[in-house]
Amino acid sequence: MSRLISLAKHREIRTVIFLILLFLIVGIVNPDFVTVANIENAVKNSLLYIVLAAGITFVLLTGEIDISVGGILGLSAAVSGMFLRDGGSIFLAILIAIVIGGVIGLINGLGVTKLRISSFIMTLGMLEIARVVQVIYTNGKWVENLPKTFKEISQSSILGINTLGVIVIIAVILIHFFLVNSRKGRYFAAIGDNQDGAVLIGIPVKRYKVFAFVISGICAAVAGLIFASQIGFISTTAGIGIEMTVIAAAVLGGVSLSGGIGSVIGASVGAIIMSSINSALVFLKVPAFWNSAISGLLLILIVVADVLIVRRANKKANKERLNARVLNYQEGA
Amino acid sequence: MGETKRLVKLDHIQKTFNQNKVLKGVSLEINQSEVISIIGGNGAGKSTLMKILTGVYKADEGSIEINGDKLTNYNPSIAHDKGIYLVPQEPLLFPNMTIEQNLTIGFHKKKQEVREAAKKLIEQLGWNFDLSRYAISLSIAEQQQVEIIKGLLRDSKVLILDEPTSSLTFAETESLFKLIEQLKNAGVGIIYITHRLDEVFQISTHAVILRDGKVTLKGKINEFTKEMLIQGLLPMDSEKDGSHSYEKCSVDRMKEEKILRVQDLCGDGFKNISFDVFKGEVVGVAGLLGAGRTEIAEAIYGITQVKSGKVILNGKDITHFRVKETIESGIAYIPEDRFLNGIFSISSISSNMTAQVIKKQKYFIDKQFEKKITDEYVSRLSIKIGSQDDEIRSLSGGNQQKVVIARILSMNPQLIIMDEPTRGIDAAARSDIYNIITQLKEQGYSILLISSDLEEIERISDRIYVIYRGTCNVCLDLEEINATNVMRAAFGTYKGSENYV
Repeated sequence: MSRLISLAKHREIRTVIFLILLFLIVGIVNPDFVTVANIENAVKNSLLYIVLAAGITFVLLTGEIDISVGGILGLSAAVSGMFLRDGGSIFLAILIAIVIGGVIGLINGLGVTKLRISSFIMTLGMLEIARVVQVIYTNGKWVENLPKTFKEISQSSILGINTLGVIVIIAVILIHFFLVNSRKGRYFAAIGDNQDGAVLIGIPVKRYKVFAFVISGICAAVAGLIFASQIGFISTTAGIGIEMTVIAAAVLGGVSLSGGIGSVIGASVGAIIMSSINSALVFLKVPAFWNSAISGLLLILIVVADVLIVRRANKKANKERLNARVLNYQEGA
Repeated sequence: MGETKRLVKLDHIQKTFNQNKVLKGVSLEINQSEVISIIGGNGAGKSTLMKILTGVYKADEGSIEINGDKLTNYNPSIAHDKGIYLVPQEPLLFPNMTIEQNLTIGFHKKKQEVREAAKKLIEQLGWNFDLSRYAISLSIAEQQQVEIIKGLLRDSKVLILDEPTSSLTFAETESLFKLIEQLKNAGVGIIYITHRLDEVFQISTHAVILRDGKVTLKGKINEFTKEMLIQGLLPMDSEKDGSHSYEKCSVDRMKEEKILRVQDLCGDGFKNISFDVFKGEVVGVAGLLGAGRTEIAEAIYGITQVKSGKVILNGKDITHFRVKETIESGIAYIPEDRFLNGIFSISSISSNMTAQVIKKQKYFIDKQFEKKITDEYVSRLSIKIGSQDDEIRSLSGGNQQKVVIARILSMNPQLIIMDEPTRGIDAAARSDIYNIITQLKEQGYSILLISSDLEEIERISDRIYVIYRGTCNVCLDLEEINATNVMRAAFGTYKGSENYV
């Protein structure tokens, strides 16, 4: 039991150790990997994933899942990208993206809570719909020629550190405090932990699930903007398959797929790991297509380990319960 | 205790669920510093009454008065505000949160205040809690303690404990009793729901017996004896419908062969269980809910593991057989929850009936064969169906159960284990099932009947083994079977049973 607690307690630490090991091992094979420049690069490349992972963590905490993030990312990036290309203001473009993400998240949330569609199916459908809407809206063309001012956002730096990076890291820390220390923030994890118990103490479970999907949608839209700014153009396949990477990142960072456990900080570290694996493969001279297979494998390994731990704990608790009922002769004497 | 304040008064509470009258006018009062034990068999209405008291259900008739105020629009949050708190039998904590988080969540006070209050309480109670521990790491007893603290933090005036000792060890029970004593002295009124008569005498000031939705016995504990409590739990003679009696037979155990021998079986939830079942008899397994009966049946059938002991069927050791092998050697099991484990609800009647026997078929299913089997059993067990292809869930409960019985009969078993075969089945279908059981017995099948229904088990069993807290020390022979004896044994006070004080 005590091992389980220490595991549960140190899920984030476990992730950090994994990250350090990854850098050490790849660094031994190829010392170029652990240069300051490369590490900074790794963090910069992972910003997108961090934002997505932070958003999806809300949904995962409530015990649901959101796989529409890739679609939301592509659609909101394309729509606000075209708006920017046609001379729109950056502020409005950001607003448009956020509205798109929020609305899709709202639809996801209402579908899951009101229509009781399983979140997997609901968001899978939404993923495909968003992709098609994106193709229709852009006429199947890439969105290019984004204004320079917009592209420079991702290049600017404060005190030698990437500005976006600073903003994202501060935001993640703030969200972490909200989820851990505020009364309402803790409701998200409570819902995934014990839904019946949450209902009993008066948490509006459905409303908070909708909130979670909306937050995830907005984060995906923001990630879309980061994507557009960093890459400079938006293809019709922008962010394809990214949901897999992001879910893997969250789980790798200690977020439980059955809900109730996890933190945004953990998920962010997981996101850094996932994007570092990508570049590590390059340094190890492994063909890039191995990336997906590796993230899939990691995901399965972690989830299986989690399920096994939980199942063992449940079995043990059940056994204890049954055996406590049995009359014991020594007791009565 | 000079002046005691009345905390709660329930007056002539009535409640009906789907034409089933669960509470038939129950009145109950609790004053400060009282510990009222509520005792009652399964389905007596205890939990319904408590759900009405906590505002989860609304009473059809009757009134609730708390601290002298008559309440009309009652609901759980008013109950909380008025200081009525229920500690559920299975704690509902958030496993992945710390104790402190569990205590503070959903509370509208400042976290700091709650923490201070909780710390003070824990100190007062003399418990040793690290508030930063995760709920998942707590034992059941500790979880219960956390639930109690949750109740006390809300300044509860009335604390309802629903079978709190059902999963506690002896030492944990002792510490709970000490707590009850402390709370009582502090003026809290406690409603204590239990099956264990010894505990009633140990801690309560008053006892109330509920049977069949009515209070049959109520008063100060020192006016009662165990014997009187047992009598209060028994059905009145006039209420029994003696219209039907089922033929019983005492098997000549010298001559007949033993079908099943269970020797010293130990597992999770039961210990040292020994019994025999002979050919052509109905053996009842009686006991209260949670006594371990279903666990024993599942161990025999091979669903759960046996720690030690032996199960012998027809002289063959089948102790560690898996389910498939047990079925093949001739045991059939009709589970307790038909909807969960017994039927394939959206499949057709004929598919359900032949679900087991088609295993003996080759790769393709012979439709003709399915139809033949279904026809045979539909007429044999007089199952009322529209068409063989109807979904089984379109049938009534009684007919569904008959289909399940048909399914296992098609496998031609020697021993049939039936776990609560008439739960949720109306009276007419119930006597049909009893007739079927009696017929099966005459045809030479042996039946192990697990039931919480006192009347049922008394009426159709030839012999009864009574399980009490996971042990089996009482075997009632044909001439010893009567409601009083079964009840006594189920509550652990039968003269032959091991005394537990």
